[in-house]
Amino acid sequence: MTLQDEQKINADLLRPLRSTSVWFFLLVAFLGTILLCGAGAWFYQMSNGLAVAGIRWPIFWAFYITNFVFWIGISHAGTLISAILRLVNATWRRPVTRCAEVITVFALMIGAMFPIIHLGRPWLFFYLIPYPSERHIWPNVRSPLSWDFFAISTYLTGSTLFLILPIIPDFALMRDQMTGWRRRIYGVLALGWQGTTKQWHRLEAAMQIMAIAIVPVAISVHTIVSFDFSMSPVPMWHSTVFGPYFVVGAIFSGIAGLIIAMAVLRKTLHLEAYLHPLHFQNLGKLLLLMSLLWGYFTFAERITTWYGNQPAEMAVFWETQTGSYAPLFWTMVFCNFLIPFPILAIRKLRTITGCVIASSTIVVGMWLERFLIIVPSLGTKNLPYSWSSYRPQPVEIMITIATFAAMVLLYTLFTKAVPIISIWELKVGGHVQPQLTAEGETEEEHHALWRTRP
Amino acid sequence: MKAIYGLYPDPDSAQHAVDELRKGGVPDRSITVISSQPYEEYQFSHRYKQTWLFWIAAGGGVAGLAAGLTLAYITETSWPLVTGGMPIVAWWPNIIIMFELTMLGAILATVVSLFVTTGLPTKDSKVYDPEVSQGKILVAVEEPADDALVERTLKASGIEEVKRV
Amino acid sequence: MTHRWGMTVDLDRCTGCEACVTACRTENNIRIAGPEQSAKGRAIAWIRVERYYEGDFPDVRVKFRPVMCQQCDAAPCEPVCPTYASHHTDEGLNAQVYNRCIGTRYCANACPYNVRFFNFGNPVFDRPLELALNPDVSVREVGVVEKCTFCVQRISAGKDVAKAENRELKDGEIKPACVQSCPTSAIVFGDLNDPESEVSRLSRSSRGTKLLEDVGTLPKVTYLQKQY
Repeated sequence: MTLQDEQKINADLLRPLRSTSVWFFLLVAFLGTILLCGAGAWFYQMSNGLAVAGIRWPIFWAFYITNFVFWIGISHAGTLISAILRLVNATWRRPVTRCAEVITVFALMIGAMFPIIHLGRPWLFFYLIPYPSERHIWPNVRSPLSWDFFAISTYLTGSTLFLILPIIPDFALMRDQMTGWRRRIYGVLALGWQGTTKQWHRLEAAMQIMAIAIVPVAISVHTIVSFDFSMSPVPMWHSTVFGPYFVVGAIFSGIAGLIIAMAVLRKTLHLEAYLHPLHFQNLGKLLLLMSLLWGYFTFAERITTWYGNQPAEMAVFWETQTGSYAPLFWTMVFCNFLIPFPILAIRKLRTITGCVIASSTIVVGMWLERFLIIVPSLGTKNLPYSWSSYRPQPVEIMITIATFAAMVLLYTLFTKAVPIISIWELKVGGHVQPQLTAEGETEEEHHALWRTRP
Repeated sequence: MKAIYGLYPDPDSAQHAVDELRKGGVPDRSITVISSQPYEEYQFSHRYKQTWLFWIAAGGGVAGLAAGLTLAYITETSWPLVTGGMPIVAWWPNIIIMFELTMLGAILATVVSLFVTTGLPTKDSKVYDPEVSQGKILVAVEEPADDALVERTLKASGIEEVKRV
Repeated sequence: MTHRWGMTVDLDRCTGCEACVTACRTENNIRIAGPEQSAKGRAIAWIRVERYYEGDFPDVRVKFRPVMCQQCDAAPCEPVCPTYASHHTDEGLNAQVYNRCIGTRYCANACPYNVRFFNFGNPVFDRPLELALNPDVSVREVGVVEKCTFCVQRISAGKDVAKAENRELKDGEIKPACVQSCPTSAIVFGDLNDPESEVSRLSRSSRGTKLLEDVGTLPKVTYLQKQY
């Protein structure tokens, strides 16, 4: 790679940080307003009690827990792309890692808000923290909600560090390239990074270890979130398949979210030279795989329930299959499987646009899947006297919309502060690798920044 | 702090410079190569002994495991409340707490040792040139024994001028 | 010997009059939801009479089943509470500690009998009903979960009286509000550890069943089946 190439990369990827259009401010204002409305809705709920929400006896968990599981699910994007692809030496991951890791951190932060939002007494949420309090009592570590606390804290710490460590060299780069107040701030954030061989060696080793460590953590996080359901004797919750089912669903929705984010970034930040259709192709193939896995798990769960024919479970089963939740259920099947499968399986359709369409339907479908796991089961429990239906109220809808706005807002602000493509990792991808060149391969192909050969 | 350095446009000429310096008798620990990306394929430094980082991470994991075990055991036995007929010290749920704290221990140990061994964060003025971020590779000799020899060697690998700090 | 409190409910005697529901509400300071909130499913009834209809007119049969907290020995609501608000006492009761409850409602979801209720709002007692509040029972604030306690305040009071008088508790001396108010004496309460108590005797009846026994909660309320 020549010096000109390097400087072009610097210029392209730092351009969003240097120049800001009026659209940025409009977008931030718009999203900020929605976020404020959401905060207002939450405050209204805290003042008036959960009577303003749609939950009722016996459907005590609905929208908020759906959102909780959904956002923790979305947060599995970063781990898969960054950590697993790093571990298997897939170099095409290089422009994509930071986009993905950012999604993880922000989705986790948003998801972690919901256990507080849905509490009856949210001002006492700190009862969950295991510290020697003056109340002389500890939290109950037998409770899956306690496991949630540990798992999400660990994952949030791990993925934040996983995101921040490789940004340090980029902060150093920005310290050198920027001027004025930006230079001072990035100078502090760069922590005095030089770029000696020892520092690079250590950083890469640390990233390798973090990647190895973060994968089991990510899998455990969504398994533990699934344990919130499977540890209780509610019909169709008490299923041993929930652990893997939720993890697969999480990775599924995570990749879909990532594809959407990447497509939007590509367009708005003019990153066409860096986010190549090949990336979307590869992620699209992964998405196809996850769609098939999701379909497999859904089928396995439902056939086991149907074949087992237990009365309590069958009541829930039929509610989702043909009863009042049937429209949502079949929409979910369409969105998660029937629409994405042909788009992602047929090579000609697996374009960037195709992947984005498939991902959008998947995001909707996965949100519905979380809802359909939680609410029909609670609405159709063991004693038929208690069977009820749930209607979401404006407060819940507003907070849900506000979380999507929060995600986009945080992401937008991040792209203004840090280059969304990891500059040094991208440059490493362009190094001339000592390897056998295929016959007839052009010089350009060999030096491409994105290659499928490790 | 005294150092002489040259900025090279590509890794090959930087490698050449380092090799020549070594041949000229400059000790390895005085040679510092600074770049804006890691160059795994090149041998800029001979101090490539196997890093201890994996062992430190494992140690952090063990510490986390111990912490998880202790926390679960103490919280369960300090107020022994019967819940759902489960034993007071319930090992199935304890395993989950222990696992999470093990991984947290490994991650934190890795990050802390990364910062300690790389010397970050630091405000000491060390050898550096902002042109590194433009893609140049900086080869520096700290506290050179023979100024003129070092300067000749650096220039011989394809650069016009050397700088001094 | 420690007590083990249990109940039997004779479904043959239950007429569905709901005197137990009213008495429980008065004894335990249960908040009034009002018609609007009740329609939205926010009414709290620590004991409720479930009504199931079988058959078509004119051969309709109605089944009444008073359902209260079964004080399960393997309660699914206990291990899932992150703050130990729900735990088992050594007298076999499932205790609900309002101060520890932060309102996650996991216990309410886990309970297969749906006997746990959530305070959707702050308690409101239209005047002059606040004068009828029972001083032995706390008034729960918004955001906590509550449920039937087998009138633990009456159990404690009964035990205190017996201790003060230096004697053993007599069978039938402690009567929760529902037991006291039932006109047909369908509900019986007592010590299951005493084989001679009425509740133990009735629990051993051949008509005795447990509600949702297959879920494995080991409930302590025995329902005596209706004879048709």
